[in-house]
Parts: sequence; structure tokens; C-alpha cells
Amino acid sequence: MSSSTRDIRRRIKSVKNTKQITKAMEMVAASKMKKAQNEALSGSEYSALLSAMLAAIEDKVEGKFVHPFLQSREVKTRGVLVLSSDKGLCGPLNGNLFKKISEIKTEAEYYVVGRKGAQFLSRTRRNLVADFSLGDKVAYNPVRQISQLLIERFIEGKIDTIEILYPRFVNTLLQEATVYTLLPLLDLKNILSEVTGRKVGGKVVGARKLPQEERDMIFEPTPAEVLSELLPRYIHNQVYQFVLEAKASEHSARMVAMKAASDNASSLLDDLTLQYNKARQAAITQEILEISAAALSN
Amino acid sequence: MSLHLEIVTPQGKAYESPVDQVILPTKQGEVGLLPGHLPLLTQVDAGELRVLHGGKTEYLAVSAGFAQVMQDKISVLTESAIDVAQIEPAVVERAMAKAEAKLKEAVDMEPEELERLETMVRYHQAQLLVKQKKR
Repeated sequence: MSSSTRDIRRRIKSVKNTKQITKAMEMVAASKMKKAQNEALSGSEYSALLSAMLAAIEDKVEGKFVHPFLQSREVKTRGVLVLSSDKGLCGPLNGNLFKKISEIKTEAEYYVVGRKGAQFLSRTRRNLVADFSLGDKVAYNPVRQISQLLIERFIEGKIDTIEILYPRFVNTLLQEATVYTLLPLLDLKNILSEVTGRKVGGKVVGARKLPQEERDMIFEPTPAEVLSELLPRYIHNQVYQFVLEAKASEHSARMVAMKAASDNASSLLDDLTLQYNKARQAAITQEILEISAAALSN
Repeated sequence: MSLHLEIVTPQGKAYESPVDQVILPTKQGEVGLLPGHLPLLTQVDAGELRVLHGGKTEYLAVSAGFAQVMQDKISVLTESAIDVAQIEPAVVERAMAKAEAKLKEAVDMEPEELERLETMVRYHQAQLLVKQKKR
């Protein structure tokens, strides 16, 4: 058989191999995405209860309470936490985040989760303060350390905001790089009225109605003390929820990218097979022609 | 009238059941909660939470958090909770030794890391205490 058919065969083989890999990655990403979504769901009860408690106290103290988290101040240095992924092959997920980073022109300190983000920030010589690495399985405690560091920097006055830049999970096909300002909490009341449930994968979960109670609530030791303890917890939990959402986004982006790659491999395979068959048939026809020509000339 | 207790952690609901009485470790000391209690929001200390139901007592170890009592529904918000029957003293002791060793060598450690380790040790201690008392 001629060399051209052999070349085509070799290409078919390599495309097939690639397709198998992308197919496997697609399925792995799909199951990881499901898991990440479930984790986000299991934390929603906690978020809802936390918001309900905050709302109960907020009613009680109503503006009389002064806390650094609730005050707006002049923003000299922004604190930006970037939630990127460790690995690539997830479509435009990280690229979109980096585009958003490039839009930040003011003074800022960067904190990052994930290798890709760390690489980008150090390559563009931005003020990268801390680089955290979380595995695929995100536990509450490691994330808590991140938020603890952010809170301390905020209280010390090193940073004047805490913003989170993360790929928001719109749906499986679409993730949007979004900046969310966590601190200062200027509009706690409004946020709380919305946050009684949290959106995961498009549906609101864990919504919790505040039970009506005509008797006055007792706060121990005092409303102010309870509130100042609750607020950091609220921030910890928010950061945790954002990390979970970023994970779900990462996996679904990877799933979509790998599905596109598998589809491309399939159509490439079809083309190559057609080409191969044509070449094969041409070779056979050629051979018959040669044999019959030889027979005639004898 | 019966009470309803739920313990909520970031990993999901750790406990949910109707109960007769709950004894809660708070910052001001232990508080016993019975049906018809006034609405209350209080800070929970790391320690032992006792649940009385049908003449039996259950012990749960909780870490620091908050508790809300509303219309005979007690919601405890904490970062971790564990049923004492599930606590393995050996495992807890090992975890504690590890955390304490880390604390000792931590001369110039970041304060947040230090705080985290101390919390860990306190939580493990609470678990052990509760377990020992039960035996």
C-alpha cells in the first residue's frame, strides 16, 4: 500500500487516542462538577441560618452599631482575591479572569487561589501578597485561613476593600468572570434580605423564612458582641461559598471544553476515514489498471 | 410541646431531631433549654452539648459557634459537631499531639495559623473531655 494511506492511518490512530483522552477528561469533569455543586448545596443551610441570625440582630441594633466591616472608608489599596484553577484545559475560564485583572488600574493587593492565577499575576508583576493552593476537594478549614488573612489585612488597614474575582456559575455552558465586593458591607440589610437563600446552578436553595415571634429576642452577652462575632463568620462562609462556586465553574468549563474537543476529534476522524478510503480505493483501481494493462500488452 | 434541635455546619446538617431538653455550653456557662424558652441568640463555646430525649442522654461535642432559639426550634450554628459515640480517643489524642507539637515549634508563625491550631487543640480537648466523662 502506498505511503499516503499509511500516513493517513497513522493520523487516524493519533486522533483516536486524543479523542479517548478528551472523552475521559470530559466525564471526569462532569462527575467532579456534580460533586462540587452538591458541596455548595450542603453548605447552603449554614449560610441561610447565618443570614437569618444576622438579620435578627441587625433589626435590634439598627445603625447604633459601629464595626470596621460596616464602615465605608477611602479606598487607597484594594484587596482582590482571585479564584483561578490549578490546571488548564478549561476553555476561556482563566483568560476571562485575567482580562478582568487587567482592567484593575488602581493600587491593589492580590491574593490568589490556584496556580494559573499565581503565574499570571507574577508574570505581569502585580502585587501578589499570598498564593494559596487548594486541592479538588475543598474543606472549610483551609479556606478559613484565607479569609482570616484577608480580614486581618483589612482591619490593619493594609487593604481597604475585600473583593473577590471569580468565575460566576451562570449555567453549565456559561461562566462569567465577576468581581464581588465583600467588605465593607455597606448595605448589610439589603444583602440579607436577598441572601436568605443562595443560588446554586440556577436554582435558589436553602431559603429560610424568619419565624415570626412576638416576644423580644434576648441576646447573650449583648447584641453588639454577638454581632461582632457573627460578622467575621459571615465573611468566612461567604469566601467558602465563593470558592465552592469557582470549583463548580472550573469543572463545568473543563467539561464543555473537553466536549468540544471530543466533537472536533470525531469530525476530524470522519474526514480522515473518508480520505483514507478514497486513497485506498484509488490505489486498488490503480493496481487493477496496471495488471489489466500488463495482460493486454502480452 | 416538644423542642426541635438542629446543628448546622458548613458541611451540612450534623444533627436534626425532636428532643425534650438541650443543655448548651455557652460563653456564660451552661444553659438548659426547655420548651417555651424565650427567643434567644447566644454564643456557644467549644464543649459538650447534651441532648435529653425519652429518658436518654446523648452527648455531642461542638466547636465554638452560635445558637438561636425561636419558637421551640433550636438552631446551633457551628463549624464542627460530632457525636461522642463516634469519637475515637486514640485518634483524637494523636491529632492533638500533632497540633500541640506544631504549636511548640511555631515561634514565628503567622498569627492566624497559630489561632487556628489553638482552636484545633481546644476542640480536640473538648472531644476528649466529653468522651472521658462518659466512660
